[in-house]
Amino acid sequence: MERIMLYVEDTPGMATAAAWSLRLAKGMSCRLFALSVVDPDAPRRQDSQTSDAEERAWSQLYEVEDDAFQKNVRISLLLETGEPLQRLISLSTSYDAELIVASADCRLTCSELVRQSNRPVVFVK
Amino acid sequence: MAKISELLPRSAIVLDLQSKEKFDVISELVRPLVAAGAITGESEFVSAIVRRENMESTGIGVGVAIPHARTKAVSSIVLAFGRSDSGVDFNSLDGKPSHLIFLIAAPEEQKTEYIMTLARLSKLLRKDEVRIGLNKAGSPDDVLRVITQHES
Repeated sequence: MERIMLYVEDTPGMATAAAWSLRLAKGMSCRLFALSVVDPDAPRRQDSQTSDAEERAWSQLYEVEDDAFQKNVRISLLLETGEPLQRLISLSTSYDAELIVASADCRLTCSELVRQSNRPVVFVK
Repeated sequence: MAKISELLPRSAIVLDLQSKEKFDVISELVRPLVAAGAITGESEFVSAIVRRENMESTGIGVGVAIPHARTKAVSSIVLAFGRSDSGVDFNSLDGKPSHLIFLIAAPEEQKTEYIMTLARLSKLLRKDEVRIGLNKAGSPDDVLRVITQHES
């Protein structure tokens, strides 16, 4: 395995999922793609909150990046706007990720991700 | 937390980068920060930046790169900005050269501020109007004006 796609979201379980991904990537000498998606249609967000959401998303990505750097794991950060499930599926294909990792408490519909993606998916709890 | 415009000294704004290669550009941007006393250990800081660049891409796409490092060789968070007309290869995922390069130097112990500065700068530079303004800027004051206008 050479590439892992980590889906990054601001949930309590995210740190555990990120740590698990970093251990796996280091153990297998993989490159990690950390992806966060800002959903402009999320009902709780107005225009200014979307901007805040983008800043939070970058902040989470850079947290993962900093940990990756300390652990000597190669990483690329991706911030996208759109419908999260579809962006994750599309980008995991574009970047030829061989595994998708997400936190078990992410806001994606887990069953839909497993059903729609043609990649293996791991939910970390 | 300090604004981006407050962390970027005028003396560290280089509107016509002479270097064409990534590591030469980084050295060109580090120099004014060393002269200003913000980076106390030039070789240690450059080593940290080079190590990061060799592990990951700091090109965030849309013609922007943000090389960065957090080390003991830095006394306080500080930025440098360089503009390259020809563009520099920062291994961006979109495959395009970077024309706007922001370098971030942070002290080892200021992780939270460092992450927040990276996040706020990345958000700022994804705005088309900011990149257009920075590409058109004719002076360091213009650069600071563009950033100040768009900082929330």
